[in-house]
Amino acid sequence: MKTPWQIMTGGDWLVVLLLLAVSLAGVGWVATAPEGTRVVVTSGEQVLFTAPIDQPHSVSLDGPLGPTRLVIDDQGARITDSPCPRKTCISMGPARHTGNLLACIPNRILVRIDSPADPEAPYDLLSR
Amino acid sequence: MAWNRPLIIGLLVVLLALSWWRLQPDDENIHRSQLLMGTVVEIMAAGMPAGKLEAAVDAAFDEIARLDKLLSRYHQDSEVSRLSQSDHSSQVTAETAEVLALGLDVALRSGGAFDLTLGRLKTLWAIDGEAPSIPHHDAIAAALIGTGPTALTLDGQQVTKRTQQLQIDLGGIAKGYAVDRAIAVLKQHGITSAAINAGGDMYLLGQRPQRPWRIGIQHPRHKEAVLETVQVSDQAVVTSGDYERFFEQDGIRYHHIFDPQSGQPARVCQSVTIIADSVALGDALATAVFVLGPEAGLLLLSQYPRAEGLIVAANGTLHSSAGWGRYRTAP
Repeated sequence: MKTPWQIMTGGDWLVVLLLLAVSLAGVGWVATAPEGTRVVVTSGEQVLFTAPIDQPHSVSLDGPLGPTRLVIDDQGARITDSPCPRKTCISMGPARHTGNLLACIPNRILVRIDSPADPEAPYDLLSR
Repeated sequence: MAWNRPLIIGLLVVLLALSWWRLQPDDENIHRSQLLMGTVVEIMAAGMPAGKLEAAVDAAFDEIARLDKLLSRYHQDSEVSRLSQSDHSSQVTAETAEVLALGLDVALRSGGAFDLTLGRLKTLWAIDGEAPSIPHHDAIAAALIGTGPTALTLDGQQVTKRTQQLQIDLGGIAKGYAVDRAIAVLKQHGITSAAINAGGDMYLLGQRPQRPWRIGIQHPRHKEAVLETVQVSDQAVVTSGDYERFFEQDGIRYHHIFDPQSGQPARVCQSVTIIADSVALGDALATAVFVLGPEAGLLLLSQYPRAEGLIVAANGTLHSSAGWGRYRTAP
């Protein structure tokens, strides 16, 4: 009687390898830094804007140089337009993990990704 | 067929099903913000195709912008500015009359703790300006001459000022009214689940999927902390606090909610949160209760059976109206 290994074809082995690759990729995905739940934008000590990171959103935020546009989409939060001269903040790309920062220093805009202190008691909006 | 093939095919089917499930789009919802009425106005709406949601939210923002031009004293050509510049009597639009009627009612019921006639006092303090400072007490006294709940009378759409120099300021109610009107626009577009938040003046329309809206109330002294969380549906939640707009001098905080009696920032509360049927009413009541303090504030709220309040007194103690507890979520 043939063992299972002896009856497997080349195609079977290919499928098994694919499944292994998918599984390993999944482990790597889970092992990365935790995704944030909230985007917080500040200028100086003032909170300009907060929003959940899982809801598409586009907002124009005023800094001393003019409006900076922040877009939240399925890649995370990113700055897509800024009046600053070097556009470094745009080139930083998206941020989505807790603790990630995007900064536009000339326009004094700081974007922070964080998570609520108590994820078991979330709220939809903050009244302040 | 080899025995392991069904197993592999089964695994593939499971994998494909999981991939398909993860790729399904969420329910349509949008969340947009604009700077209007001197604050960030956020609108969240859900439950319809994206195109219809976008059109409804655009119309709601347009309505707020339109009302800002009508009711703001910062627009020179607004109806409120024209009313302030008028000699004695003016005809106003039905919308301005509606805001004035509600504001004057709260002003009378609160014994003048809510006041629509503090335009000169607020200009004097310039809390919203770049360099606010403490005015001289003589200037404060002069700015309060002729103000009060009876300084302005309304007969239909005819407004009469008691004195020519009376300056109208609807800052404590206009933003709430604009949110109410914007909610009406969303309803006209068929929206049944939405939230509008205009710098703390918010209305929660309908429900989130399968549950009411959950609203966190910011702790007035710890910016990152939430004092309480409430669950509401088809109601307004408005918070007024001394931490919103202020400057400090010699260790004393000077904020934007004034006691009409003294012309100074009110000192008896840190924050007040009101749950009411309309944002305009919640807005006016939050200011009035903030000025009155916990005891008199709760007495005022007892005149409004469908309004509830949570008060953080100046010493940090919490006071709430009798029905507040039914909105509070379990800690």
